[in-house]
Amino acid sequence: MAWSDNNDLFWFNSSYKKMNRIIILTPLIILLIICFFSLTYLLSGKDPNKPPSALLNKNVPSFESTSLYDTKEIIRTTDIKNRKTLINFFASWCSPCKIEHPLFFEIGKKYPELYLLGFNHKDPTSDAKKYLEDDGNPYDFVGVDADGLIALEFGVFGLPETYLINEEGKIIFKFMGPITKDVLKNEIEPLL
Amino acid sequence: MSSLVGFLSLVFAIGINFYLFLSRYIFKFQKQKFNLFIRFSSLLTLLSFFSLMYAYVVSDFSNYNVFQNSHSNKPLIYKISGTWGNHEGSMLLWLCILSIFSFFFSFTKNIEDNFQKLTLIIQAFLHILFGLFIVFTSNPFLVNSILVNEGLGLNPILQDPGLAVHPPILYAGYVGYSIVFSIAIAGLFQNTDDEWLYVAKKWSLISWTFLTGGIALGSYWAYYELGWGGWWFWDPVENISLMPWIAGLALVHSLMMVRGEQAIKKWIVFLSILCFSLSVFGTFLVRSGILTSVHSFAADASRGIFILLIFFIVTGFGFLVFLLKEPKKSNALNLLFINKVSALVINNILMIIATLTILLGTIYPIIIEVLYNKRISVGGPYFNSTVIPIMIPGFLLMSIAPILSWQTNKINNSKKYVLAFIILSVLVLIQSYFLDFNTWGFVGLLLGFWIILASIIAIFSSYKIKINIKFFKIINPHVAHIGVGIAIIGITCSSVFQNELDFNLNEGDKFNVNGKTVLFEKIETTNEINFQSLRGKFLFDIEKNQSKEIEAGKNYYPVSKMITSEAGILHQWNKDIYFILGDQKNNEWFVKVLINPFVSFIWLGVIIMIYSGLIAVTRR
Amino acid sequence: MKSSHFFRILHITILGFMFFTFKIYALETIDERVKKLTLELRCMTCQNQSIYDSDAEFSNDIKKIVKQKLQEGESEKDIKKFLAERYGEYILFRPLMNYNNIFLWSFPFILLIIGLFFVLIKTKTKKA
Repeated sequence: MAWSDNNDLFWFNSSYKKMNRIIILTPLIILLIICFFSLTYLLSGKDPNKPPSALLNKNVPSFESTSLYDTKEIIRTTDIKNRKTLINFFASWCSPCKIEHPLFFEIGKKYPELYLLGFNHKDPTSDAKKYLEDDGNPYDFVGVDADGLIALEFGVFGLPETYLINEEGKIIFKFMGPITKDVLKNEIEPLL
Repeated sequence: MSSLVGFLSLVFAIGINFYLFLSRYIFKFQKQKFNLFIRFSSLLTLLSFFSLMYAYVVSDFSNYNVFQNSHSNKPLIYKISGTWGNHEGSMLLWLCILSIFSFFFSFTKNIEDNFQKLTLIIQAFLHILFGLFIVFTSNPFLVNSILVNEGLGLNPILQDPGLAVHPPILYAGYVGYSIVFSIAIAGLFQNTDDEWLYVAKKWSLISWTFLTGGIALGSYWAYYELGWGGWWFWDPVENISLMPWIAGLALVHSLMMVRGEQAIKKWIVFLSILCFSLSVFGTFLVRSGILTSVHSFAADASRGIFILLIFFIVTGFGFLVFLLKEPKKSNALNLLFINKVSALVINNILMIIATLTILLGTIYPIIIEVLYNKRISVGGPYFNSTVIPIMIPGFLLMSIAPILSWQTNKINNSKKYVLAFIILSVLVLIQSYFLDFNTWGFVGLLLGFWIILASIIAIFSSYKIKINIKFFKIINPHVAHIGVGIAIIGITCSSVFQNELDFNLNEGDKFNVNGKTVLFEKIETTNEINFQSLRGKFLFDIEKNQSKEIEAGKNYYPVSKMITSEAGILHQWNKDIYFILGDQKNNEWFVKVLINPFVSFIWLGVIIMIYSGLIAVTRR
Repeated sequence: MKSSHFFRILHITILGFMFFTFKIYALETIDERVKKLTLELRCMTCQNQSIYDSDAEFSNDIKKIVKQKLQEGESEKDIKKFLAERYGEYILFRPLMNYNNIFLWSFPFILLIIGLFFVLIKTKTKKA
């Protein structure tokens, strides 16, 4: 039985043809979608090795940490309320940390109202003290994070990592790796 | 010097293709003259590739690519394989293989001249696209502006015999689909007779067989080299190879169906375009820096955009031609409830669903990150939960499909099969009851054994047994399916029934693995040419006279500061015993021993599939 | 069949089912649960490796935390949520079944239904 024999099938034939067209157009539509998303991703300059922070624009996690220099001095989340804070996770055994270290002095000088909080991550206190003695201590407070639990709360998985917290206590910026002058100028300073 | 030769021959080759492509007189070209140009272009591309290889072999560090990726201390074989162990060189290899396929296609007989020319013109077009990509963004012949004595070394993970062969064979698979693509497009333009389907079948089989080999080599290499005990991780780059493999499988099956049904022609054209599009998309994903994986080459946004453009052009062109010139005449499919055609149609559908699911899973993180600036993972658990259940009914159908009839609903000897299935289910159930009951294990074993059993029954009841070449060709589909069955058994056992034993040992300790005593002899550190090795030496089964020596440990590469885990594997026919040396704690070494049952069956099954593919190529 | 036979068979079937269910879902040890869970977590400092397979420092830390939380009685779901809140859903190899991922998880099913439709439409029950 050939198609042309039966006129009843004509309406079915033409709507079948339309459906056919739509079906054949689908790969091209999918192609466009894939290319659009891929292009956008490429142009945005995202780094596949650095996932965006899950805590962006969320409240800074609660923490409690003793000072490196005085075990009686404790800093809590509530202590950094109502002030812009820059939190930096570092360690004496972390070589990229040494590279970004001098920049914190600059930041401290340029923005005196900014509270610089350093967390010393999984580091023997003697090593940390020696490191800060040799290279200087730019932080307003150095908290001890001996077991890494504070870093865990922040979602840290490599050193160094830096966070910027605004006056409302929300994390507005995260950076993985050592901060460079470019990062400071283009990404951090606009937020200060 | 070799760099200059390489670069010039590459540019010349592209130039010839440009000339052919733009020439308005291609159809007026005499076939001999046309073929001459194509073959000359191919040979020039080959020359270009071998020039690069020569530069590697002689450690010519005036070539920037050689300087970046090689080192004079590397053994010769790794110098050679270093040619394609980097982005630029592997792109040249890609182009080279494209040319080789064009070269051999120019010798095809029994097809219309214009059809052949059109196919080769499309190949030339692809050659131009990828050639320009190489010249402008990935030139392996750049001159090193600094005078150096030594190279920068090679990624230590790539210094491996398996890796010497894995890319060329894999690329032969990926790039082979280019010729299938070109044939299909030429077929759309020419509306030639159906001879092209037989040509397409041969080249699809060749590509698929190479791709199977390439993927298997990659898996095998990952298994013994990466040191984690697995051979498939649903890593994005693995997914990229799996998609054209599954689509290519649907394609070869559809091409074999051509004898029976005309309506499949449109579907075949669609699959032909799809397979190569997936290959090119894969190239884009790997080289653009959009994904992170063990395979990623160094990322560069401009490269990524260029390849994306190529992908867009090739795929867009392919499907646009398909839209505009699709074969209008299509007879209705003759689908009965369960005849060969319906079984193949169902399997095609299942395979496409599997392919599309893998595609979505692979690109979904990109989509989400663009939309919500949030990064998610779509990993193994997703694919295991979706792709495997989809494939299972496909495997079930596969077991009986070769003995189904083209025309009728009848299955000869159906009672034999039903009985065999029932007995087998009971046997597997009893076996599972006494060992570790596991749903996936049960399903996998039942499926694997059933496929093998049904195929054997089919061979013995449907054909007269004769030991000649014709017989082997006729039973080939069954043999292929037996291979799949064996591989399924291997995959099921080695994943579901894997056993892990952890030990904390001092040197000199003895421990028990599967009833055999193993002695942890000592730790040895040695300095090799370009790395330091730390090895734990084990003696397996010391109660026997001939105990086996196994080494497991880590390699430290000072140039790149990388540490690789080197596992020690004891291969037995029914299991692999896999030793992993961990870290030292309190003077005790952590040793993990994995017992992977029937891993050998995976490789055996794949080898049978490759054998079957080769036999099928020679069939009409 | 006699009702007594019927109930006997039903009884055995239910017992058999319970037996198999128990065998399959028998209580796993804490270590087994840690293994199962950490196999589905991504090691953030490795290339596409699970926390279970990796011996990086980060992975070992997470393994300890997971074990501790399981011992404290937290459920796998809670632990996953805890980690996802801090490291992002990126750390989960199995994408969550939430609003964003509806399309991802339902896609294969939708395709299967379309495929089924197609086969049913094209199948003839009689010979042509």
